[in-house]
Amino acid sequence: MKAYQADIAKFETTDTQIFGLSVDSVPANKEFGAKNGITFPLLSDFKRTVVKDYGIFNEEQGFGNRATFVIDKDGIIQHIDEGNVAIDPASAEDTCNILSHKKTTP
Amino acid sequence: MIKRTLCIVFLFAVASIAVAQTPTPSPSPAAQRPAAPHTNLKVGDKAPDFTLPSTAVGPDGRGLRFKLSDFKGKKNVVLAFYVLAFTGG
Repeated sequence: MKAYQADIAKFETTDTQIFGLSVDSVPANKEFGAKNGITFPLLSDFKRTVVKDYGIFNEEQGFGNRATFVIDKDGIIQHIDEGNVAIDPASAEDTCNILSHKKTTP
Repeated sequence: MIKRTLCIVFLFAVASIAVAQTPTPSPSPAAQRPAAPHTNLKVGDKAPDFTLPSTAVGPDGRGLRFKLSDFKGKKNVVLAFYVLAFTGG
């Protein structure tokens, strides 16, 4: 998350909205965000519906796994990072750069 | 001398019990852990829509909810799922 925050300017130039998403409560995320200086919105999937929809819910441990999805302006997934590679935003950034140069379908 | 022999026998017995109780090593430790779930989504799939509360606050001081489909035609969205409890990055 901190890595994403550090690179937020790069994402913003690519016409991209970043969201953090976890299964924690809004107050817990607020505290986390404040402590780590995170300015992008952190979404709270308290009911674990989104982590399940995205297929990364860990039943045994009750939380979502680490993953990054890049979704284009048409609502189509353009990039997926799962596990520890998802810590590094570089590949997600690359995808956003490519997308920003792509024409959007009306 | 008998004492010493007994002592050795005793030590041997303790050692064999310890060996017997050691669980047989599994082929790999990863095999024992439940496999991390992998997404069933692929590049090119439609991203499942959602509406979720967030840490962002609107002008009225109330927490903002975000709907993924609201960004359609406007912005790309990076969705970074993380685990709060052990987020180092």
